[in-house]
Amino acid sequence: MNFLDYLVTNSQQILFLTQAHFLVVLIAVGIGSAISVVLGLAVSSGEPDPRRFSWDWFATGIREGGLVFTAALLTVPSLALFALFLPFTGLGVTTAVVVLTIYTLYTVLRNTVAGLTTVDRAVLESARGLGYGRLRRLLTIQLPLAWPVILNGIRVTTLISISIAVVGAVVQGPGLGILLLNGISRIGAANSFYQVLAGTLLCLVVAAVFEIFFAIVQRLTIPRGIRV
Amino acid sequence: MSETTDQTVVETPEGAGKPDMIVLEGVEKIYPGSTQPAVSQLDMAIPQGEIVMLIGPSGCGKTTTLKMINRLIEPTAGRILLDGKDVTHVNGDQLRREIGYVIQQGGLFPHFSIADNIGVVPKMLGWDKQRIRQRADELLHLVGLEPSTFRDRYPRQLSGGQQQRVGVARALAADPPVMLMDEPFGAIDPITRDRLQDEFLDIQRTVGKTIAFVTHDLQEAVKLGDKIAVFATGRLEQYDSPDTVLTQPANDFVSDFVGGGAAVRRLSLLELAHLELHPVETDEKAAGSRNGTPVVEVDGSGKPVSWRHLPGGDAAGTAMVTVPISGTVYDAVDVMLDGCASLVAVVDEEGRAQGVLHWNDLVGGLRTRKGHA
Repeated sequence: MNFLDYLVTNSQQILFLTQAHFLVVLIAVGIGSAISVVLGLAVSSGEPDPRRFSWDWFATGIREGGLVFTAALLTVPSLALFALFLPFTGLGVTTAVVVLTIYTLYTVLRNTVAGLTTVDRAVLESARGLGYGRLRRLLTIQLPLAWPVILNGIRVTTLISISIAVVGAVVQGPGLGILLLNGISRIGAANSFYQVLAGTLLCLVVAAVFEIFFAIVQRLTIPRGIRV
Repeated sequence: MSETTDQTVVETPEGAGKPDMIVLEGVEKIYPGSTQPAVSQLDMAIPQGEIVMLIGPSGCGKTTTLKMINRLIEPTAGRILLDGKDVTHVNGDQLRREIGYVIQQGGLFPHFSIADNIGVVPKMLGWDKQRIRQRADELLHLVGLEPSTFRDRYPRQLSGGQQQRVGVARALAADPPVMLMDEPFGAIDPITRDRLQDEFLDIQRTVGKTIAFVTHDLQEAVKLGDKIAVFATGRLEQYDSPDTVLTQPANDFVSDFVGGGAAVRRLSLLELAHLELHPVETDEKAAGSRNGTPVVEVDGSGKPVSWRHLPGGDAAGTAMVTVPISGTVYDAVDVMLDGCASLVAVVDEEGRAQGVLHWNDLVGGLRTRKGHA
C-alpha cells in the first residue's frame, strides 16, 4: 500500500479529523480573541495621571499584570497544561478548547494593547478637541486604527494553536493529533509512517485554509484609508 | 473671498462696540503635583471676529491657555465665558462640538474619507446625511479644494498643506463662532505656509470667526493677528496690536522676545497707501524739464517700463521695479532687493506710477512716520 492508497482508504477518518482540528482551533481562537480584545479595550483607553488616582491606575495595573500572567501561561509546556486540566475538565473536547484558549491570550492581548496605545496622539487629540467622548474615541478611532495590529495577533496565535492542538490528542482532544499519536505509538507497524505524514500535511492544509480566511477578513475589515 | 465684502468685516475700527466673544476671568492652571502655576491669574478678552495670536517661548502657558478655552485642560480657578455664557462647568464634550479646533497637521482621522472627516461634528450634532455631504462640498470649495476630486480621498493621499486645509474645513463644519488653532501651520514648509496664511486670512474675511491662535512664529503672529498676546511663564506680558507690540514693547521680556528683527517685521505693517511718496513724472509731461523729480518712460497703457531721468542717478543703469500701492513697505523692500534697484515705482491698480520710494527713505523718511501705519 502506498501513501496515496492509504489516503484514499482512510479518507473518511482523515477528513473528519481535519475538520475537527479546524473547528477546535477556530473555537479556541474565537473565544480567546474575544476575551483578549475586550480586556485590551477596557484597559487601554487612557493614560494614568501620575498625580491623581483614577480608573486608569487600575486599568494600567490590570493591563501590565495581565500581560505578565498570560505570558507566563504561554511558557508552560503544552503537554503539562493539558495534563494539569485533566482533573477539572476531564478527557475530551473541553480540556482541549480551554487549554488552547489559554495559549491564544497573550499574543492577542499584547497586540491589542500595542495597537490601541500607539494610535497617533495628534489624531486622538483632535478627536477630543472636536468633542469626541472617551468611549466614542475608543470605538470609532482607536479600535479601527488598531485593528490591523490586532488582526495580525489573531493570525499569529491561530498558527501557533494549530500545532498546539495536535498535543491535545493526549487528553483525547479532537483533531489530527489522534492520527499523529497513533502513528507514533505504532511506529514501524503497517501504515504508521503514513499516519504521521498525513497528520503533518493536513496540519499545513488547515493552516493554509486559515491564512486564506484571514486574507479575506483583512480585506473586508481594514478601513480603506489605512490599508497598505 | 470676494473683494467687495473684504473691507466691511475686517476693517472695522478697533473697539467699535464689538462684544467680547471669549472672556477669561482670573483663570489659573496649576497642574497637580506642581507648585508653579502653568497659567496664573489670567484676564483676557477676545472681541468678536478678531484673530488673537498667543505667542511666547515654550512652556509659557500659551497652549495651556488655548486648551482651557475649550476645556481640553480644566482650569484650576477662574471663569471662562463664551459669548457671555459661563462655560466653566458645562459638559466638556458638548462644549467642544461648538468650538472649532485645528491642530498641527490637521489631526485628520486616517480611516475616514475627506468628506467624512469634515462631517464628524455635524454627524455628532445629528445633521442628516444630505446636509452633511452638502456642507462638506461647500467647505472644500471654501478652502480651495475641488470637492469632486477630494471628497472621497483619504488623508494619506493628500499633501501636508492639503491636509491642513481639510483640518480648517473640519473645524468650520458646524459653523462655530469660535475657532481655536494650535500651531496649525507649524509643520508645513515655508512656501506652503505662506500661501496657507494668505488663504486663511481670505477665509477669515468671509467667515469672520473669533479666533485664538497659538504660534511660536513672530512673523506669523504679526501677519495674521489683530492682536498679539505675549506670554512668559504663565503670565500675560503684553496684549496689544502687532504694531504696538513691535514698537512699544511693554517690558524687557517682550522687547527681548520681539528681538532684533522687530524693525524689519514692522515693515510688513506699513502700508504704502499710508505713506507720503516722492512725486514722479511720466515722460511726455516732463520731456523738457530736468528738475529734481524722477521721470519714467511709459508704454501704451501708461505702465512704467524704464527710468528716463533720475536726479543725481544713472537712469539707464537702474532697473525699473514696481510694487502695487496695496502692498506694504516690506513688499517694496523685497522687490528692490530682488531687482537690485535703489528705488521702486509704486503703481496703482491700472499699473500707473503713483510715486516713488527710495531705499534711503527706509532709514530716513519712514522713521518719522510711525503714526501712519
